[in-house]
Amino acid sequence: MPKKHLPSTVCEDVTELPPSRTARNRVKRAAYSAGLAVEDQLEPSLGVDEARSSRFLGVEGATVSFGQGDARIWPLRGVSVTFQRGTLSLVMGPSGSGKTTLLSMLGCLLSPDEGSVFVDDVLVNQLSETEKTAIRQKKIGFVFQAFRLFHSLSAIDNVALGFELRDPKQSQRLEMARQLLDQFGLGDKCNQEPNELSPGERQRVAVARALAGDPPILLADEPTASLDAQAGRNICQILRNQVDEHGRTVVVVSHDPRWRKFADRTITLCDGQVEQGGRNL
Amino acid sequence: MKLAWQNIIHDRSRFSVTVLGVSFAVFLMVFQGSLLVGFLRAASRLIDASDSDIWITARGVQAFEFGTTLESRVREMAAGVPGVMQTDRVCMAFAVYRTPKGKQQVVALVGADPNVGKRFPVPDVPELAGEISPDAVLYDVSDRDLIAVPALPTEVEINRHRASIERQIQGYGAFLGVPFLFTSYRNAIRYLGFGPDDAMYVVLRVSKGSSVADVKQSLQERLPEVDVLTRDEFAHKSRMYWTIKTGAGGAILTAAVLGFLIGLVVVSQTIYANTMENIEEYATLKALGAPRSLVARVVLTQALLCGAVGSVLGLFAVIPVIDHARSLIPWIYMPWWLPAVMVVPSLTMCSLASIASVRSALTVEPGRVFRA
Repeated sequence: MPKKHLPSTVCEDVTELPPSRTARNRVKRAAYSAGLAVEDQLEPSLGVDEARSSRFLGVEGATVSFGQGDARIWPLRGVSVTFQRGTLSLVMGPSGSGKTTLLSMLGCLLSPDEGSVFVDDVLVNQLSETEKTAIRQKKIGFVFQAFRLFHSLSAIDNVALGFELRDPKQSQRLEMARQLLDQFGLGDKCNQEPNELSPGERQRVAVARALAGDPPILLADEPTASLDAQAGRNICQILRNQVDEHGRTVVVVSHDPRWRKFADRTITLCDGQVEQGGRNL
Repeated sequence: MKLAWQNIIHDRSRFSVTVLGVSFAVFLMVFQGSLLVGFLRAASRLIDASDSDIWITARGVQAFEFGTTLESRVREMAAGVPGVMQTDRVCMAFAVYRTPKGKQQVVALVGADPNVGKRFPVPDVPELAGEISPDAVLYDVSDRDLIAVPALPTEVEINRHRASIERQIQGYGAFLGVPFLFTSYRNAIRYLGFGPDDAMYVVLRVSKGSSVADVKQSLQERLPEVDVLTRDEFAHKSRMYWTIKTGAGGAILTAAVLGFLIGLVVVSQTIYANTMENIEEYATLKALGAPRSLVARVVLTQALLCGAVGSVLGLFAVIPVIDHARSLIPWIYMPWWLPAVMVVPSLTMCSLASIASVRSALTVEPGRVFRA
């Protein structure tokens, strides 16, 4: 898979931006597509260091729309948000503010109409679906509000499937899945199917599956919304530990205010724009 | 692939419906296939039973059952053609059969010289010498109700001539409802009122070292007023007549195709419904980074597993049914290769049925995983 690594240093390939927002975005997209960096003066709210690290995970001037004509809606409008490696970031905002849309872009599940998305230093906008699939497979773990476990598979098989997807040749996947479930206190529930587990246990299985294969990025969409207080706290702690002990980058989208004390940073979205913790074009 | 297997056994009722649909289709296809094969076989079985190389028939004869008499000189002239080793006669005509209790029945009376073929059922062959009389009449066991003889031997009447039914045979049952009776050639022409030199068919054996094609050509040149056919050509012509021209074979073939299509519809609907029920899981699979080939493989494996299990069950069900059906349809025949061959269309059927499902699974938007 051809990777389009952005340069780690800011160079002077693009030094001036046109005045209009659309034209600016066009120039930026072209620059990213060509593997060029945009000079730091074009990123007025970021310092040079922040601009460098921002290329690990984030969106730049991302605009997303759905529908056509009068029915067209704009979940995100010119949003720029970056996530630093080895941090837990919380994305908050009211319903319809664009949180899930942002997460979908970071997970290579959605491409913006305008703007750029980069994942693990790779500009993913112009990659093919196959290449995006490979990035999801190798780099990103997902945790969903509705767990999304495979109902016909046992807990251990769900986690083993995570290993299999990341490395089909992995012959020890069942043993590794068992170890992972043990770590999350589910060693005695390995052979139970999802409908035999409590919501908190299901979410822990889902987290184990997301962590199978050791992805550097974990994206979680409302991971505690379906859980009681205790189970929710457990999940918060598990994800926090992933940052502290394994250096993973975790992005959590949630309404749940308990997450604030576990997060390194909070980004607030409102009406498709960043209210706090990022920038809008 | 564990996911594919677990998915289908997790919902046993749906799996059962799918397997039932496949079994039903396989059952229909094998049963109809056996009817078709049996019908084709029955349409030419007496021709195939001869050991001859060449059959001479009156011009335009379409099938064995509809022969007309040949001039007596045909046999004599054929015997004089270089390469012809032996000539024998066969005749077949419909006759009135009268049971001992006075019941009348139309029968197809077949007479043949003893050397026509080892499998050709005639009484005056050396193997039966001493067991039955040379002019005995034979009938197929499947026609016993129509022939209605209380014991063997029994005196009956054929075209008002006294005849002796002396033996049951197998494999030559009634074709299209009229039972066959077999006897010696000289006896048959007596019952049928033919002249001593008349024949309906002259069957020839070609001497070793002679080419059947060359002899056939010589015969046709010398006897332009008759049809000269190799055994296989006449068998094929007879089969084509019964299957194509009468429409009977077409009806059986149509039923077999309908069985396939009905199975296809049942299986595709069930597999599609199964896929749509699990569509969120396919979206999850894609979101987690499963390549398209894996998603397609899961759906296809489910379809093929259902196909394999359904095929086996369908075959287990159809074999005893065909055995049982022989009492009603004596010519039904399931060759050993038919079940094996039917596995291919049944798996093809399942693969075809899964196309729409694979398409749905591949096009599902993985982004929907974020919807609660």
